Amino acid sequence: MFDATIRVLRREWGRICRYPVYIALMVILPAVSFAFFAVLFSAGVATDIPIAVVDMDKTPTSRTVISMIDATPSALVAYQVPDMAEGERMVREGKVLGVVYIPTDFEKDIMSNTRTSVAAYLSGLNITANGLLSKDIQTTVTTFSSGIQLQVLMKNGLSEKQAMAQVLPVYFDRHILFNPYVNYGYYLLPSFLPMMLMIFSLVLTVYSIGSELKNYSAGEWFNTAGGSTGAALVGKLLPYTAAMFGMALLMNTIMYKWIGVPLNGSIVVLTVAAFLFILAYQSIGILIITVLSNLRMSLSIGGGYSVLAFTFSGLTFPRMAMDPLLRILSYIFPFTLYTDIFIDQAMRGAPVIYSIRYMGLLCLFIVLPMLCLPRLKKIATHSEYWGKL
Amino acid sequence: MRRTRLGIKLREFGSVIRAEYGHIFTDAGVVLIMIFAILIYATVYSLAYKNEVLRDIPVGVVDNSMTPASRQLIRTFDAAPNVNVTYNPENLTEAENLFFDRKIYGVVYIPEDYERNLLKGVPAIVSVYVDASYFLMYRQVFSDVVAGLTGTGTEVEFSRLLAQGINAPQAEAVVSPVQFTLRNLYNPYLGYGTFLMPAILIVIIQQTLLMGIGMIGGTWREFGIYRKLRTPGEKRLSTIPIVLGKATAYLSIYAVTLSYIFTFHYKLFHLPMNGSLVNVLSFLVPYVLACIFMGIAVSTLFRSRESSILYILWTSIPLLLISGASVPKEAIPGWLYNFGKIFPSSSGVEGFLRVQTMGASLTEVRPEVTTLWILCFVYLILACLGIRLVMNREDVR
Repeated sequence: MFDATIRVLRREWGRICRYPVYIALMVILPAVSFAFFAVLFSAGVATDIPIAVVDMDKTPTSRTVISMIDATPSALVAYQVPDMAEGERMVREGKVLGVVYIPTDFEKDIMSNTRTSVAAYLSGLNITANGLLSKDIQTTVTTFSSGIQLQVLMKNGLSEKQAMAQVLPVYFDRHILFNPYVNYGYYLLPSFLPMMLMIFSLVLTVYSIGSELKNYSAGEWFNTAGGSTGAALVGKLLPYTAAMFGMALLMNTIMYKWIGVPLNGSIVVLTVAAFLFILAYQSIGILIITVLSNLRMSLSIGGGYSVLAFTFSGLTFPRMAMDPLLRILSYIFPFTLYTDIFIDQAMRGAPVIYSIRYMGLLCLFIVLPMLCLPRLKKIATHSEYWGKL
Repeated sequence: MRRTRLGIKLREFGSVIRAEYGHIFTDAGVVLIMIFAILIYATVYSLAYKNEVLRDIPVGVVDNSMTPASRQLIRTFDAAPNVNVTYNPENLTEAENLFFDRKIYGVVYIPEDYERNLLKGVPAIVSVYVDASYFLMYRQVFSDVVAGLTGTGTEVEFSRLLAQGINAPQAEAVVSPVQFTLRNLYNPYLGYGTFLMPAILIVIIQQTLLMGIGMIGGTWREFGIYRKLRTPGEKRLSTIPIVLGKATAYLSIYAVTLSYIFTFHYKLFHLPMNGSLVNVLSFLVPYVLACIFMGIAVSTLFRSRESSILYILWTSIPLLLISGASVPKEAIPGWLYNFGKIFPSSSGVEGFLRVQTMGASLTEVRPEVTTLWILCFVYLILACLGIRLVMNREDVR
């Protein structure tokens, strides 16, 4: 059995050296994709998002508000436009993401103690940019408003301290648990890199087995293994498991060491989870190619299945917002379990016990597809399953 | 003489189209990618994002004050659209356990002296614990809790001023001299599907075309179609009829599936349709053509039928991101964003969102449309060159 495994392993190594596609999928493309995401998120949070301003007042006071908004990290007052129609046209042209409107008599109303307003019209087509802008502009206007309020109260004879207590009767202190920098990249990066790891693990498994069927070499493969399914599979997939695990270690180094993604929990759990995650997708790859016994069909189906996983992880759009059926469906993707472990361990620093159950479920994804092994032996040793294109 | 040359080319063009329909419809793998993938993806993604926004996120409130004022504050949170006070843990340790169990996603701590301080006119401090590991939830919990707190603060201040004998309109002006109003354009409730679905669909069009055409390109190589379709008496097929014949076949198929997607599917899932038919079509035609010519150009690189999936599948998410649809383009390094423009999807996403979701006119998306036509032209030339090279190599064989 052991000798047979070694023989298959040696045979597989020969294939890897012969066909460049293997090296591309094992090392080059994963590394390129990791580099892509690392560079993409290197800039961090979006700053200086262009907006337009309609200043109907044109007084020192209105200009103060405008320069306060311009000074915020997210907003850049790129254009002054005469009216809202012009502002909205600039939004449709993609030149700005929003328009701030300051009404006429803005200064006069403030001086005469009459209520006035500032309005922001922000494009809702990029939720992230919208969130940054709305937070910064709202904070600016509120700060400006509180400043005026303080002046009015102090003019009426209150001390600064009394006035402050008057302005802010309820004060809150904010504690952002986990991901304290509120950095978009810190949690998108750890979800996209495993996505890539997953796609390559699955594709490599399907391709390395499927190409044997397509090229009529499956019989020779099983002969090398002395007819043992275990030896055939272990010998064949071990190089890819090792390569993918190496990539997983690279991935964790990029994230936690180089980019500085928070790591509040156990790196051991995260590493073990990454290993189980790779095995789970290899297992699913075996299942797909075994059931379909057609390389191209399996790649299409496996590819579709892997890309869908991201949506159902709930990292961007929460699972809680999905219909119950889809919420259950989200657990047919091991990726969902892996990201739950990631959030618990890296972000939240949850006790290890909370991650054990997810790891247990990951193991189910490794074991259950193995039920198809008898069929794998059948299709690999019967030539009527070969050569399907 | 010229007439017959043209006749031969036309015949070649026709036989390429016929052959291509055959390659597509007799190949389950290609049918799956070029026809069903977009229908399946569009449906599954739309179902996942159907509810658009998340309401009533469970939070816990640790109420150490147990006074009418603190209960009033809790009711304010409950009344807010995005949060729901589902647990009243005794202390912060208990709250932490609920949190790790994913039962609550935020904690508000009301201290024992809350009401006393309010009555004394001393600032009452409330602690808010929010989790930023899930971004969307963080934003919604935080904004609703803060709105509840500031609203309560304003009410308290307002009633104090009234008690001091100031009339209501004046008190209002003192409490909030400058009111802030926020309107979200084109996506009033900041729905997730409204925001992301159009971009996803545009990227899927490109990716399925690249993979599908790549697969068929592999078929031509594996089965020597270049030689089989040769007109008797001619040395070989001509390049232009091949490229245009292929393009016509793909374009006709996508015309059908995309008609379904951008009408029935859009209606079914209430996706924003603000663009006029003429504008949407004038935008989609150069987009799909650019994708097709790119697909033909890229397909000449693939020797076997499965290569296209192996090499192209993983690029889907990177291409969606580099278009600036999800991560704002201001957060992407400039050179990387500009590099993305060599793919039709970057200009496609950017322009289509504005044409279809905002209802922008064609002049308002002129830069994107121009880029797409340039890409069309460049990839058409590359496709012709690629096909020529492949045929030269096939001749040698």
